[in-house]
Amino acid sequence: MQHLAAIGRFAIWSGQVGARVFVGPWFLRPAARHCWTVVIRCLLPVTAVVFPFGMVMALQGLSIFELFGAHRMLASLISVAVLRELSPVLASVLVAAQGGSSFAAELGSMRIKEELDATEVMAVDGLAYHVVPRVLALTLACPILNLAGSVAGLTGGFVTAVLFKGEQAGVFLAELWAFTSPVDLWGGVLKTTIFGAIIGLVACYQGWTTTGGAAGVGRAVNDTVVWATIVFITANYFLTSALFGAVG
Amino acid sequence: MSGWIAGVGRFAFFTIDFLRAVPSSHRPLSRAVVEAYNIGIKSLPILLVIAGFVGTNLSLQGHSAFEPLGGQQMVGMFVALAGMRELAPIIAASMVAAKAGTEMASAIAVMRIREQIDALEVMAVEPRGHLVTPRFLGILLAMPALTAVSIATMVGAGYLVATLQLGLNGSTFMEHALAASEPGDVFWSLFKALLFGVVICLVSCYQGFHSAPGPEGVGRATNRACVVSAVTCVLLNYLLSELYYG
Repeated sequence: MQHLAAIGRFAIWSGQVGARVFVGPWFLRPAARHCWTVVIRCLLPVTAVVFPFGMVMALQGLSIFELFGAHRMLASLISVAVLRELSPVLASVLVAAQGGSSFAAELGSMRIKEELDATEVMAVDGLAYHVVPRVLALTLACPILNLAGSVAGLTGGFVTAVLFKGEQAGVFLAELWAFTSPVDLWGGVLKTTIFGAIIGLVACYQGWTTTGGAAGVGRAVNDTVVWATIVFITANYFLTSALFGAVG
Repeated sequence: MSGWIAGVGRFAFFTIDFLRAVPSSHRPLSRAVVEAYNIGIKSLPILLVIAGFVGTNLSLQGHSAFEPLGGQQMVGMFVALAGMRELAPIIAASMVAAKAGTEMASAIAVMRIREQIDALEVMAVEPRGHLVTPRFLGILLAMPALTAVSIATMVGAGYLVATLQLGLNGSTFMEHALAASEPGDVFWSLFKALLFGVVICLVSCYQGFHSAPGPEGVGRATNRACVVSAVTCVLLNYLLSELYYG
């Protein structure tokens, strides 16, 4: 019952935020600033995580394809997996862990210090000023980081396959796009846009509803990562099924 | 850059201090069981959800990767290999980092800013030994168990998608999955999970101990604990995989 009530509160709150995205007032400058901060802060973690994942993909892919003698397939397996799944999901996990949770921490400590109440007192719409720019920033930053992650993942696969394992560079690069279509790329971008919006809403909701001092801020940060990840991984299954049409 | 290197050095000193303080820790085993229960049970629900959906995705991706080869029955092998060797330990690690690691960091950071850690020192209790040892032992107990559970969940979810959504033959799926799984792989991935647990615990507790004052400090420490331990685990994962499978 409590969970249902929590979901309902979150839905109403998200509706209020969503209405302000269309009605305004708009604060575009803070949105751009937040977006820039998120991209800069997450760039290193995203590339540092997706790059080794691409390397591991190449390592394990080689051990599978050796069974068939189908080494050529390696590059296309890596490119499809990185573009469709690995990079969008890993980039979003890192955006939730780094960008989302820092937004939750910011809003949470503003709530604790009653700065959010002060905004209301000054007749500034807190949701429009504090929340909407942050949600928009994450919605925009997530696809950008996904593109960076895709490049990092493919580079990681290339490094392991060609430099460490001695596959031929030309074959790898030629096969890279054999099974990949623009749909894979745009599908990843679309997915991460939705994930970014989910992360933004969950993170700002956790920060906005923080209670209980410094420990409460810690709890908000913790819950942000956990809930955002659960929600967008669930969404990911349906988006993958819908976008890439894997119904037998 | 020099800030980073200084941070690594502080972390090394923290680890050494912790290891020295382990023997002086008071009744670590009984508290470790409580911590293991906390870490395991609290991380279990999210881990089940995430591992389940990763398993479904493995099935979908394996299907689309092997369809051009006409080898749809290889989906079982793909799910078992990818899930067991790589994804289960790393997913367990990232979820434990996100849930239990951040909780360690924020709990210790709150004790730091409320000067409870200084109070421990005043009472001649070595705070690193007292606070970190039970968490360390607890995470060592919990991580392999969580990994084993997530392997089972991934393969189960992959099986359901393969049979119900993709219309593959269930017994062929399991046959290929079992043929691909070797005991050595399972033990290696449990061992990887153990090392990830060590990383998560030390990094999170370090971040908590070195928290800046105020609510922002706690938030930032919690945030860093999760990101730094996830990135370190993934980098470590590549090295471990290269060592065993390379």
